[in-house]
Amino acid sequence: MAPYLQPRVEDDLRSLLDEHALLHQLVDGLGSPLNLVLPDRLVRNVAAFRAVHRKHHLGGGVWFAHKANRSHALVRALAATDAGIDVASLGELQHALAAGFAPERIMATGPKSPEFLWLAARTGAVVNADSTVELADLAGIVAAHGLPPVRVLARLSGFASTGTNVLTRTSRFGIAAGDLTGLWETLEKHAGQLDFLGVAYHLDTVGLPEKAIALEGCLHAMDEAHQRGLRPRAVDVGGGFGVNYLADARQWEAWTSELTGAVLGRRPPITWNEHGYGLRNEGGTVRGALSVYPAHRSVAGPDYLDRLLSTPSAVHRRPLGTLLLDSLYDLHTEPGRALLDQCGATALRVEEVRGDLVRLAGNGGDVALEQHGVLMDPILVPRTRTEQAVDPSGFFLLGNLCLEADLLTRRKVFLPQPPRPGDLLVFVNTAGYLMDFSAGDALMQPTARTVAVSRGGGGWRWRLDEQYWPVTGREGTA
Amino acid sequence: MRYETVTDVIGNTPLVRIDAAVHGLRNIDLYAKMELFNPFGSVKDRAAWNMVRDRLPGAAERGETVVELSSGNTAKALAVIAGMHGLPFRSVTNRMKVPEIKDLLLLLGAQIDELPGRSECLDPADTDDPLTRMYRTVSAAGGGYLHTDQYFNPRNVEAHARGTGPEIIADLDGRAPDYFIACVGTAGSSSGVARVLRGHDPAVTVVGLVAEKSDFIPGIRDIDEVHEVGLFDPEVYDTIEAISSAEAIDGLLTLVRRCGTLAGPTGGGAYQGAVRYLRGVDAELTERRTAVFIVCDRVESYMSYLRERRPELFAQAARPQSVRSLTTDDLAAARTIGVGDAQEWIDKEVPLVVDLRSPFAYRALHIDGSINIVDDLFGEMLHGGLPFGRRQPVLLVCPVGEKSAQYAALLTRMGHPDVRSLQGGVIAWRDAGAELVRD
Repeated sequence: MAPYLQPRVEDDLRSLLDEHALLHQLVDGLGSPLNLVLPDRLVRNVAAFRAVHRKHHLGGGVWFAHKANRSHALVRALAATDAGIDVASLGELQHALAAGFAPERIMATGPKSPEFLWLAARTGAVVNADSTVELADLAGIVAAHGLPPVRVLARLSGFASTGTNVLTRTSRFGIAAGDLTGLWETLEKHAGQLDFLGVAYHLDTVGLPEKAIALEGCLHAMDEAHQRGLRPRAVDVGGGFGVNYLADARQWEAWTSELTGAVLGRRPPITWNEHGYGLRNEGGTVRGALSVYPAHRSVAGPDYLDRLLSTPSAVHRRPLGTLLLDSLYDLHTEPGRALLDQCGATALRVEEVRGDLVRLAGNGGDVALEQHGVLMDPILVPRTRTEQAVDPSGFFLLGNLCLEADLLTRRKVFLPQPPRPGDLLVFVNTAGYLMDFSAGDALMQPTARTVAVSRGGGGWRWRLDEQYWPVTGREGTA
Repeated sequence: MRYETVTDVIGNTPLVRIDAAVHGLRNIDLYAKMELFNPFGSVKDRAAWNMVRDRLPGAAERGETVVELSSGNTAKALAVIAGMHGLPFRSVTNRMKVPEIKDLLLLLGAQIDELPGRSECLDPADTDDPLTRMYRTVSAAGGGYLHTDQYFNPRNVEAHARGTGPEIIADLDGRAPDYFIACVGTAGSSSGVARVLRGHDPAVTVVGLVAEKSDFIPGIRDIDEVHEVGLFDPEVYDTIEAISSAEAIDGLLTLVRRCGTLAGPTGGGAYQGAVRYLRGVDAELTERRTAVFIVCDRVESYMSYLRERRPELFAQAARPQSVRSLTTDDLAAARTIGVGDAQEWIDKEVPLVVDLRSPFAYRALHIDGSINIVDDLFGEMLHGGLPFGRRQPVLLVCPVGEKSAQYAALLTRMGHPDVRSLQGGVIAWRDAGAELVRD
C-alpha cells in the first residue's frame, strides 16, 4: 500500500477543486503558481470560534493573526464580520485600517517600532506589549503627543507549574510571570496614558498542559493586579489552536511508521536523499525527533479552545473557562492557522515528468510546506479528462529554481495516476502560513498571483485579490 | 520469611496457572508470572534495583541525583530505592499520563520534569528530541547524576536473564515453556527472559506485544517507539503483534474479576495478547504445551485510566438531589429575578445571597453581604438536604444566571418556598451599574 497522505478537503474547497476547466483557465490566464483564497469560509470559521465563547458564556473577541496570510480579500472579508485582527507590523496595521477595521478591533502584537507604536496609539488600537520597557515607551509617546489613554495587554511568559515541573521552551517574548512588581509599577506610574485591559500569553507549543498552566498563571496575575487596586478585565490566550490537515489518521500512522522503517534501512526510502525529517539511525536505534507538524490532529481549532477552557485548574480544581467566567473576565483569542482552515489552495502547473521526478512551475517558497512540516499529497487536476487506469505511484516534486535543494517537499508524494505536462497539482489548505509566507523572487521566477473565489450566481465568481471587497454593488436592488 | 532489607524481597515471584475454564485453550497450560508481587509493585523493581545497586556506595557523599526517563513503574521503584539511600530522584518524562502514578511519585519525594510539547510554529532546524537534550544535560554536568538509562542499560536485561528467566524454568520443573508472551516497554524483561529460555530450549516461541499506534497502554511502546529503545532487537521475537487499549482492559477485567489477579493494563494486555495468539496455535495442537506471560503490575494505580476509557465500569446510581436529575418542569418552576427587582428585594427582605462562583472570583468582586459557596460544594451540601431554613429567603447568583437557575430549581423541588436566581448573573448586575465590592 502506497504511503498516501491525503489532505482533508471540505465543502467549498472540495467543490472548487472539481472545477477543472475553471482552474486551468485561471492558471492559463494568471500564471503558475496561483493562490486561491475562499473568504466566505473564513467568515464561517470565525463563527465556529464564537460558538466556543458562547458555550462557555464568555465575552471577548476572536482576533485573526494577520501574519498567517497577507491576502487583501481575506482581511477585507474579515472586516465585514465582528472579528478583530492581530497585526504584527506597521504594514499590517495600515493594511487592517485600510481594509475597514475600526481601531477598536485591532490589536498590535510582536516586536514594535516607534512608528508602529505611534500609529497604534494614535488610532486607538489595543497594544499587546512584550515588556515593561515597551509599555513605558508607549506611555511616553501618548504623553508627548497628548493622545488619549491606550488600551494595553501585558504579555507574560515563564509560568510556574505546580506538582510536576512542566518544562517549556524559553521564549523571546513576554514579561516573566514570576515577578510582576515591575509591571504593576509601570502601569501605576503611567495610569494616565495606559488603560490596563489585562494579561496575555502566546505559547509556541501544541501541548495543552503548558497552555493550561499559562492560563492559570494569567488568572493569578489578574488576581495580583486586583489586589494592587488595578482593574484588568480580560485575558488573552493567544493562538496555536492548530489545524488537522489529514483526512485519515491511519495514513499518518502508516507514513510515520514507514519513515521509521526507511531511516532504519528496513524499506526503500520514501524521502529525497533519504531525508529523515529529524530522525536518524544510530546503530540500529532511531534517535532524534520527527520534526514535522502533526498532520493529523484529533482536537484542533475551536475544539482545542473548548478543550483548554474545559481543563480543570490544578489549584482551584475548576475548569479554566469557568474561572474566567466567575471573575467576569473577557476571553480574547488570536488564532491564525486555525481561522484559515480550508480557506485556500495553491495550484502549480506540471512542466516536465521524468520517471518519478515531476518538475513544477513554482518552487518551495511558493508553498512553504517544508518550513512548516506539513506534507500532504497534492490533488491532481488533469488538463484533459481521460480514462486512465488508477495506478498509484510516488513522485518527487521539483521546483523551478536552479538549486539542488529546491523541492516542494522532500517527501515522495503519491498520486492516483502519473501527471503529464500541462496538468495542475493543487496543494490544499495552504492559506494558513503555507501560501506565500516564504515566497521571494531571488531567481526572478514569478511569484504567485492571488485570486479570491466565492460562490455566486449558481457558479463560482473570482476576482483578483486586490479587487475583492465584501460588497457587490447590487445591494440597493436586492 | 525474614529479610534484612526490602530490596532482598525483589524477585522470586510465583508462577500461577490460569484456569482453563477462563482462557478456554484446550491443549495449552497457561501460566502467569506474577511480577505484581514485587515489593514496590511491578516487574520494574528488578531492573531498577539491578541498575543502581552497584552504584549506590558513595553516591550520597558525591551528592548524586538518580535520574531516569520514566513516567511509570521504573520511576516508582527508583524513587523508593533512592529515598532508602538518601538520594534525590528526578524523573524526566514526556507527559505524566497516569495521574495516580504522578501523585505517588510526588508522595515519594520525586521531582518530575515534564518535557515541552511540540512547537506550533515549526522550526525545521531544530531536530533535537527532548531525550537527546536531556542526555546532553546529564552528561554535560560532569557528574552529579546517577543516570540509570533504562532503555539502553544492559543491566536492565541482565536483571531478567539472572532472575525472571531462570525462575520460570525452575518453576516448570526445569523445562522452558513452549511459548513466552511479553509486552515490550524497555524490552528489558522480554529480551532477558527470552535469552534464558532460548538458551535452555531453542524451540521456544517468543511473542512481543506492542501498543497500537496512537493508542496508549501504560508501560508499552508502539511499533515505532520500540525502535527508539536501545535494548530492542527485533531478532529476539518470533513475532511482534499489536494490541489495543480496549483489549488490554478486557484482559485486565478477566484477570481481576475471574483469576484473583489484580493486574494493571499491561498485564491485561499480555493476557489478552497471549490468549489471542495461542488460540490460533491451540487448534492445530495434538499434544500439551505450556505458555507463560508476565503480569507486570497492579490495577490500583490505573483507576483514572480505566474511568476515562470505560466509565460504565464505575457507574453509580444517580444521587437524588442533584442538578443532573432536574426535569424541564423543575427548571420552568424555578423563580428568577431581574437586577432592579433584586436590589429592592435585598433591601426589603434581606435574603441570604449565595454567590456560587469560585472563591478566587468572589474575593475580587462580589455583591455586598453575599456569602460564597462554590457551586460544586453547594451541590454536595444539597445531597444531604436543605442547608438553610424554609423561612429564610435565598438569592442565588452565578456569572450568567444559568447555574443559579438550576440550583434554584433544585431547592424549589426540595421544598424551599422562596429561592430565586439572579437573572443574567453577576455580569448583568455589573452591566446594570449595580454596586460590587471587594474586601
